Amino acid sequence: RQDQNEPKPPFNFKSYMVQKANSVNQALDDAVSLRDPQKIHEAMRYSLLAGGKRVRPVLCLAACELVGGIESMAMPAACAVEMIHTMSLIHDDLPCMDNDDLRRGKPTNHKVFGEDVAVLAGDALLAFSFEHIAVTTPNVTPARIIRAIGELAKAIGTEGLVAGQVVDINSEGLGSEQIDLQRLEFIHLHKTAALLEAAVVLGAILGGGNDAEVEKLRKFARCIGLLFQVVDDILDVTMSSKELGKTAGKDLVADKVTYPKLMGIEKSREFAEKLKKEAKEQLVGFDPQKAAPLIALAEYIANRRS
Amino acid sequence: SSKLSTQFDLKTYWTNLIGEINENLDQAIPVKYPDQIYEAMRYSVLAKGAKRAPPVMCITACELFGGDRLAAFPTACALEMVHAASLIHDDLPCMDNDPFRRGQPSNHTNYGVDMAILAGDALFPLGFQHIVSHTPSDLVPEQRLLRVIAEIARAVGSTGMAAGQFLELEGGPNSVEFVQEKKFGEMGECSAVCGGLLAGADDDELQRLRRYGRAVGVLYQVINDVLEEKTMKSKEIEDNKKKGKSYVGIYGIEKAMKVAEELRAQARKELDGFQKYGEKVAPLYSFVDYAADRGFRVGDLN
Repeated sequence: RQDQNEPKPPFNFKSYMVQKANSVNQALDDAVSLRDPQKIHEAMRYSLLAGGKRVRPVLCLAACELVGGIESMAMPAACAVEMIHTMSLIHDDLPCMDNDDLRRGKPTNHKVFGEDVAVLAGDALLAFSFEHIAVTTPNVTPARIIRAIGELAKAIGTEGLVAGQVVDINSEGLGSEQIDLQRLEFIHLHKTAALLEAAVVLGAILGGGNDAEVEKLRKFARCIGLLFQVVDDILDVTMSSKELGKTAGKDLVADKVTYPKLMGIEKSREFAEKLKKEAKEQLVGFDPQKAAPLIALAEYIANRRS
Repeated sequence: SSKLSTQFDLKTYWTNLIGEINENLDQAIPVKYPDQIYEAMRYSVLAKGAKRAPPVMCITACELFGGDRLAAFPTACALEMVHAASLIHDDLPCMDNDPFRRGQPSNHTNYGVDMAILAGDALFPLGFQHIVSHTPSDLVPEQRLLRVIAEIARAVGSTGMAAGQFLELEGGPNSVEFVQEKKFGEMGECSAVCGGLLAGADDDELQRLRRYGRAVGVLYQVINDVLEEKTMKSKEIEDNKKKGKSYVGIYGIEKAMKVAEELRAQARKELDGFQKYGEKVAPLYSFVDYAADRGFRVGDLN
C-alpha cells in the first residue's frame, strides 16, 4: 500500500456505516409508506424504522459494490433483507414464542399494537419484501433478480430462519448434556447466519458477481453469521440489559444453550477469532480498496459491545 | 356462451386437476429435519377435501391464452401455499380463534401456536421459492415470472388479504364489503391474473381477468354465507353479525342474493371479452356458475 504514489486515506468505517445506514433508513422510510389500513402500516413502520444497526442491508450494499455493482442495484434487496429480519423479530417476540416485552430499548410490536396486528404486520413485511425486490430493482437483468428472490426465499423458510427457530424451540429446557455443538451450530447457521448470507449473496448477485465470487462471499457470510451469534452469546453473559438495549442474561434464565455454556468464555472467544480469520481469508483476491468495508464489518461484528 | 358452459364437464375437469395439483404439492413439501415443521406445513397444505380453487383458476386462465399447463403448475402450487399460510395465521387464537377448519383441527390446535406461526412464515417464502426453482425457463420468460411474484406478494400483503383480515378483526360498521373483497376477492383475482401473466396475456386481458377473478371470489363467499345462514343456529348468526363477518348477517338473504346476481353478471360480462378464444373460455364460465349454483360438492371430488 505504501508503494502507491498517492496513498488513499485509511478506510473510515464509522462514517461509512453512518452514511450507508442513512441511505438504508431513507429507502426503508420511502418503501413502506403510511397507507390504508393505517394501523398495519404503522405497526410495520414501528419495528422497521426502530433504528437497528442495519448490519444486514449494509452487508448487502457492500457486497454489491465489491463485485462492481452500484448501490442502487442492491438497495431494494438490502431493504427486503431488513424487512425479513424485522418480521422475524416481531414474530419471535410474540408471547407464544420468546415472549419478549422489549426490543431495541422499545416495547415490542405486539405490546404496542396487539398480537393480532403484530402477526399481520410480520406477514405483510414478509410479502412486501418480495414485491419490493421484484418491482423496484433498477438496471439488473430479470434473470439475476429472479435468482436473488430464490436465495431470499430459501433463507427464510425451512432451510433457513424457520428451521433454526424450530430447532431452537425444541431445544428449550434441554440441558447442555443433551445439546451438542452440532445442534447449536445448526440453530445459529439457520437462525442468524442464513439471513446474513442472503444479504451478502443477494448483493453479489445483483451487483453482477460471477459464480466464483458469489460462492466466496457466501462462505464469508456464513463465517460472520456464526461469528455474530458467538459474540451475541458472549455479550449476553458479560453485559447488562441497559448496555444491550434488551433483556440481558435472558439465555441463562431461559436455560438456553449458548457457546459460553458449552465451551466456556475463553474458548468461545478463540472460536470467534477463528471465524473472523476464516471470513477475511475469503476476501483475499478481491480489490483491497473495495473489500475494506466487508473486512471492517467482520471486525465490527467481532468487536461490538452491544 | 351459456350453452358452452352447460356442455362443459366441470366436475371431471376439476377432479383431474385436483389430482395433479395434489401430487405436485405432495412433492413440493418433502419431510426433512426438523420434521415437525414440514409436517405442520403438509397438514394444512394437503388437507383432505381442499377445493384447490386458486390453482385451478390459475391453470385455466393460463390455458385460455394458449399457455402450457406445465408453465402454470409451480405458480398454481405457490398460490395454494400462500393461501394455506394466510388461513393458518387467520385461525390463530389471537386472530379468529378457530380451533377447527373444514371439520379438522386447525394447525395450531394440532401443532401448537408457535409451530403454526412458523408454518405460515415458511409457506409464504416456499411459494416464491417453488415458482423460481420449478417454472420451466423455456416456457416462461423471467420478466413474466417477476410480475407473477409481485402479483402474489401484493395479493397477500398489507393492502390485500392482510388488510382484509385486519379490518375483519377491527370490525368497523361498514367494513363487510371491503373485508369480503380483500379476503376472498383478492385470491380469485390474483389466481386469474397469474395465469394470464404466465401465458403472456396483454394488459387489457389482464384487467378483465382481474375483475373476473375478483367477482368470482366474492360471489363464491356470498353464496357460502347464504348457505351457512340457512343451516346455522340463531346464536351463531348473532355472533357473526357482531363481528361484521358475514354479508348475509348484515344485509339479509334477499340483498345478498341480489349482490350475488350482480357479481355473476359482472363475471360473465368480463368473459364475453374473451370470445375469440372459443371453447377455451368454457371452464371460466363454469366457475361462475359453480360459485353461484353449487351443482355438486367439490369436497366429494377427492
